[in-house]
Amino acid sequence: MPGPFEYFIWLSCTLLEIAVVVCALKKGAIRKYFLLNLYMATSVIVTGARFQVLTSHGFTSPEYVYLYYYSDALLTIFLYLALSSLYAHVFSELKAERYVRFGTLVLLAGTALFSYAVVHESTTKLISRFVVELSQNLYFVGLVLTYVLWAAILKLRETRTQLIQIVLSLGVYFSLFAADYALRNLYPSISSLFISLLQVFGCFLPLAWAYTFWRIPEDARIVPSRLAVVPR
Amino acid sequence: MSRKLTVVLLAMLVLVGAMGLKTVVVTHGDGSLIMANGGAPAPPTPWKNGGAPAPPTPWKNGGAPAPPTPWK
Repeated sequence: MPGPFEYFIWLSCTLLEIAVVVCALKKGAIRKYFLLNLYMATSVIVTGARFQVLTSHGFTSPEYVYLYYYSDALLTIFLYLALSSLYAHVFSELKAERYVRFGTLVLLAGTALFSYAVVHESTTKLISRFVVELSQNLYFVGLVLTYVLWAAILKLRETRTQLIQIVLSLGVYFSLFAADYALRNLYPSISSLFISLLQVFGCFLPLAWAYTFWRIPEDARIVPSRLAVVPR
Repeated sequence: MSRKLTVVLLAMLVLVGAMGLKTVVVTHGDGSLIMANGGAPAPPTPWKNGGAPAPPTPWKNGGAPAPPTPWK
């Protein structure tokens, strides 16, 4: 059962998610970054449902377990769609939105097919295994896509500060979870510390996005550093 | 048409890269999951309900010692 610290982090995270949507609404960025805000709003609704089920049924109850993993898959799909909308923003000048949409669907279908291929021989709880597998695979796809997007931003010399900040914070967010997972396996004796850190890392993305919408004006520009060129 | 095929190729490359990365990570991992959405405490996976000991796999019937493989 989660303790006061876990509840505090969970509440802080939810408040930050609400702050993202409120800041975007106030600064007029809700339509421009609609899918990002949809992800945050869905996360708030899911949190409400999870809290309700957790308090009424318990932490290890099948109700909470199923709700947690099924809603996590839903949120991962929403985050994936939000990431694809960032691709559409970055490639908007190349008039490639149509291809970005097509690529998003192809990759999502490919990931779903791969996930099904991995779990299809399971004899029990096939759908649950598929849902968790899809969520995990989309996480790794998102991780790779974020780094590819950052490379594209550098290559295309993207200058929109808001967009750069959003992409970078997403990259840091994915990397924090990957680093935590790696450290947990490198130092299994203190893995409980790294597991509790996961919740804290969950607050990073809404914090960074809320800051971005609140503090960085839409027309702000920045020049990303050039890649180092070593003279021969 | 060729542009669409290029998009499909790129999508497949990303999928292969991501699944390769996942394979490397999970092979060296403890089998736990990476949950990266929100701050809710993560429960055990749906197929690990309760603390009951896991039964032996169906292909290990009885307690007889396993013989060497036929090709040794």
